[in-house]
Amino acid sequence: MTTDYSSVTNVAHDKSQFRDGVEAHLEARNLHVWFGERHVINNVSLEFPENSVTALIGPSGCGKSTFIRTLNRMHELIPNAGLAGEVLFKGENVYGPNIDPVNVRLNIGMVFQKPNPFPTMTIRGNVLSGLRLSGRHSRNEDELVEQALTRASLWNEVKDRLGAPAGSLSGGQQQRLCIARSLALSPSVLLMDEPCSALDPGSTIRIEETISEISQSMTIVIVTHNMQQAQRVSNQTAFFLAEDNNPGYVVEFGETNQIFRTPRDRRTEDYVAGRFG
Amino acid sequence: MTILETAEFGPVARPAEATPWRNRSTSTLTSIGLASVLPVVLAFLIAMHFAMPGATALVAVFVPLQLIAAGTAATFVGGRRGIPDAILTVFVLVLVLLVAVVLGSVLLNLIRKGIHALSIQFLFYDSTYVTSATSLDYGGVFHAIIGTLIVVGIAALVTIPLGIGVGVFLTETRSPMRGPVRFITQSMTGLPSIVSGLFIYAFFVLSGFSKQVGWLASAALLLLMLPTVARLSEEVLKLVPQDLRSAAMALGAPRNKAFFQVILPAARSGIITAILLGLARIVGETAPLLMTTIPGDATNYKPFSGLMSTLPTYIYKWVSAGSEIAVQRAWGAALVLLILVGIIFTLARIFGKQKF
Repeated sequence: MTTDYSSVTNVAHDKSQFRDGVEAHLEARNLHVWFGERHVINNVSLEFPENSVTALIGPSGCGKSTFIRTLNRMHELIPNAGLAGEVLFKGENVYGPNIDPVNVRLNIGMVFQKPNPFPTMTIRGNVLSGLRLSGRHSRNEDELVEQALTRASLWNEVKDRLGAPAGSLSGGQQQRLCIARSLALSPSVLLMDEPCSALDPGSTIRIEETISEISQSMTIVIVTHNMQQAQRVSNQTAFFLAEDNNPGYVVEFGETNQIFRTPRDRRTEDYVAGRFG
Repeated sequence: MTILETAEFGPVARPAEATPWRNRSTSTLTSIGLASVLPVVLAFLIAMHFAMPGATALVAVFVPLQLIAAGTAATFVGGRRGIPDAILTVFVLVLVLLVAVVLGSVLLNLIRKGIHALSIQFLFYDSTYVTSATSLDYGGVFHAIIGTLIVVGIAALVTIPLGIGVGVFLTETRSPMRGPVRFITQSMTGLPSIVSGLFIYAFFVLSGFSKQVGWLASAALLLLMLPTVARLSEEVLKLVPQDLRSAAMALGAPRNKAFFQVILPAARSGIITAILLGLARIVGETAPLLMTTIPGDATNYKPFSGLMSTLPTYIYKWVSAGSEIAVQRAWGAALVLLILVGIIFTLARIFGKQKF
């Protein structure tokens, strides 16, 4: 099921700021990141084609999560954050002087490592929170809630208690609710920062199914520590590494099959084989 | 029938005693019982024998005896590890008792002495033509209730948004002014109320800008309430998980919407506590009101002109008047103030409840 939401949500994202028809949907170019004076990401350039799934792998602390947060301008919310380089969304630099960060985040959604539904809202309220928070309404809210929850494979479990507080759901359900919340805005890119790290195998499989389903119409970037998961869900993989307190960088980037079967770099080979990290 | 024997997969009714941790052996119960009765009896006998005053007996005889008894009982029940637990329990209970006795006696005293004055007429009549010799069947505190509501209401109306605003400034922005602002609000929490009253008096009355009217009292109370509300709001807003802010921002929320729809609802009960503690700080204040208003006897609904009486100044006036009836009026007014605060706090809690 690949529904085009724009008809349902009546959401008119201001996409005019970003041109369609450029091949790399999202692209990081010579990206450097600092926290205060500490250089944490060194010259990362990655391209994410439209409707592709890209896995970012690498040991803890190598800058994967930091990198992903630079893509939708969440990085700048951290005090003392610094950045150089470009992030191009449909060919336009999202850090350009005329770009509204709110607009970037509406187009590039994000799911966090820890499920973070809004505890003061109901399940339904959480799904619609993206609309509410950007000050919009939809004509078919019921339909939108059902579609978003169905795509996040949560609908059957919660359809009878949409008015229940979001905190009453289990951890796995909360994470799928957070995915549904992002999907309800029908972003064209979804960033996922270790979305399954706190979940049981059943919930993990469901979320992976959700990923392959929504990747029909969405570009996905997912950070994961699970090698099998990276192989199952992604088309391309980037291996990040930070050695000896040096800033993190991309050791190898390519087709997922190639990275896992015939890695060019020795360190990639060792990492995907589980010999370090 | 144990739960395992049922061999069913559906839910099983909760048995009558599903609390195995409450089961205690007879010896445990005996030692606890002895440890709670013996010290009381012994302390009572010793105190009687030496004709000690109650307080001395309590501190010098009962508490040590109870500590020894509890420690011994704990040794029987839990071995040496039980002793510190027992000692701590005794201390906590004694302190709780102390606080409960002090608070309870204040409350009881207030009700006992104030109840005589209380009547429908006392609540709904003002004190026009009432002197210190007038019988309690005439006149009341209506004007003072209205005055308190007006003065405190105006102060709260201005302070609540302002105080929460300061809290928001301190938590949600990265301004370099946060340090100085936090320092100043922190210092202001210790401001003596008479100083705030004198300040408003000097600033507005001595300068000839205004007479002593109701809104000046509100201004003086504002100086006292603002720092409390601001500091507490800050502490409460700090407790809202950063995750929720990130989630809202990642959904493309402008900061104002993220605040009003996500952060404020999450901090709601804490913010209400901040407001209530701020109100508690000012509602019984007397000194600043004496500086900034002239208490009258007639009901005055106008904060910008006329004599304005409030419950604290009413109490002050009739206590000063000295006659027995006048003092009874003051007790009555004190009880009314207590009830008023109780009503406001209860309403705030009811309307502040989280709704889904």
